[in-house]
Amino acid sequence: MVDAVFLALSVLTIGSAIAALEIRSLIYGSIALMLALSGVAGFFLLLDAPFVAMFQLSVYVGSIAVLILFTVMLVRRELIFNKVEDKRRRYAGIALMIVIMLGIGTIIIGSGLKTMDTNSAEVDYKKIGEDFLTYYSPALIVMALILASSIIGAMTLARREDVIDGQRAD
Amino acid sequence: MSTIAPQFRLSRFIGSLFDLIFWVILIFSLVGLPIVFIVLFYIKLPVINNQLMTPYLAMTWMADPSRTLPIVKNFMHTTIFKVMAFPGFGFAALLAAATIFVERKFLAKIQLRVGPLYCGKIEGILQLMGDGFKLMSKEIIIPAKADKPIFWLGPLLFVGAAGAFVSLIPVAPGWVVANPNVGLLAVFAVIGFFPIIAVLTAWAANSKWTFIGGLRALHQMVAFEIPLILSLLGVVILSGSLNLSHIVESQEHFWWIAFLPIGAIVFFITILAELERVPFDLPEAESEIVAGWLTEFSGMMYGLIQLGTYLKLYAFAGLFVVLFLGGWNGPMVWPPFPQDIITQGITIGPVTAKFPGLPLFDQEMLNGTLWFVIKTVGVILLILLPRGVFPRVRIDMILHTGWYKLIGLAFINIFIALGLLYAGVLGPGGLLQ
Repeated sequence: MVDAVFLALSVLTIGSAIAALEIRSLIYGSIALMLALSGVAGFFLLLDAPFVAMFQLSVYVGSIAVLILFTVMLVRRELIFNKVEDKRRRYAGIALMIVIMLGIGTIIIGSGLKTMDTNSAEVDYKKIGEDFLTYYSPALIVMALILASSIIGAMTLARREDVIDGQRAD
Repeated sequence: MSTIAPQFRLSRFIGSLFDLIFWVILIFSLVGLPIVFIVLFYIKLPVINNQLMTPYLAMTWMADPSRTLPIVKNFMHTTIFKVMAFPGFGFAALLAAATIFVERKFLAKIQLRVGPLYCGKIEGILQLMGDGFKLMSKEIIIPAKADKPIFWLGPLLFVGAAGAFVSLIPVAPGWVVANPNVGLLAVFAVIGFFPIIAVLTAWAANSKWTFIGGLRALHQMVAFEIPLILSLLGVVILSGSLNLSHIVESQEHFWWIAFLPIGAIVFFITILAELERVPFDLPEAESEIVAGWLTEFSGMMYGLIQLGTYLKLYAFAGLFVVLFLGGWNGPMVWPPFPQDIITQGITIGPVTAKFPGLPLFDQEMLNGTLWFVIKTVGVILLILLPRGVFPRVRIDMILHTGWYKLIGLAFINIFIALGLLYAGVLGPGGLLQ
């Protein structure tokens, strides 16, 4: 049962990832990207990590895919992409992907991670929280600082002082 | 004198009946029976009263009304019943349908109108059924330049997402379709799908009204998701759990709205915005952009969207009750099942009938459901109320409210919850448990 689900999820994820790159229509491409990201969430569910799976869904599918859709719909296509495409680039890309996958694959197989335990108890989110506040607290602080600085940067960039909107209700 | 079918001949009619019966029997025995046996081979049959419930035994028991109850009771605890009937789709759809009718009457009474009146003689009680039949019998029109796959999928996905949301709401102790440990996060994940569906169907219809409505829906829902999530963190901090059933159990003595009123108010406003209800109904502002992102839907496709909207309304009201109003908790008002009937059976004259398997539902579950329904109906009426009272606000005012004021209030709410937690008053290990 688990194997069948794993295979189906793999086909879904990889297939829709390829479709996201190859489909001509940008909207369909972003829908395929959403499917690929949901497939990754399915992998997390298989690995007994529902906490990560739910965040994968709400952050990647719920927010990032929405942003991509927004961009695709609102901005004209020529402004996002200028089409530079030839056969050599394509084959170079495929070759690069195969090299990277082989590299990562050898590392994973070499690390002794050969079987997947799917019957263990699900990871408790309270344990994740404890780890974040004790052992991984420097990482948490660094992440918080990076996020805060990027939010402040985004707000500074988005601010326009030349526009005075007289209709605002405040 | 006119006849409906001038060529009618009774002998031909009876002949065609026999014809039908012959074909049904033939197809059933050649195709149906093998399928039944194949299905039975894979289904795990339940054991009731120490007997394996084979279909033959089940039919024998069903023939005797006093022995059907154990089968019914066993069926009621299966997942398929929970999904289809009680805490799942059937129950929610019933409440949703009632909401549609009550909304019209309620708004009419607020605005000193009469509302639906003629359909069904008494206060237009059959209006809803008439509307349903009308929607079902209307033609489904697909715009010529629409993107057909997405346009067809949109309403189905909308109802599906709303159903997934409904499945997470616990109605009574143990009566919930899906009870994951990260229930509240699952709710956030499901809510994230609605703006995508809205904007995709709006784009697929290829009309300017739908597209403007879809973009408005996207703006509004994305903006209000953040205060929605933040306003619920206070409850998570105080109850120490993300599981919705645990959150209800933690409110056995007092409701969280007593300690977190700001969070409850912020959550209520975000509910109005997420549901696109007045005063935040810009995505389907009927006086500006026809019907917003629903403009091009017709027939049952519109019906499905409507069903999804009201399922979503029920689910949000249920979530409010679960998180802030104590869910199924309430004084025990449901009378206990009379013991005489269980022990001695029902005596009518000379006949005594004993029914093993009674009571069908335990008292706690019925009482919990009663309180949950009462509170949910109250919250639904509160959600409907602004539509009769307030005008629509501008999009920049909505976004301003969402991004500035509600997020600020939600943070204040989180600090109140943290203060109560660290003062040792509430929460895990607090004074008031």
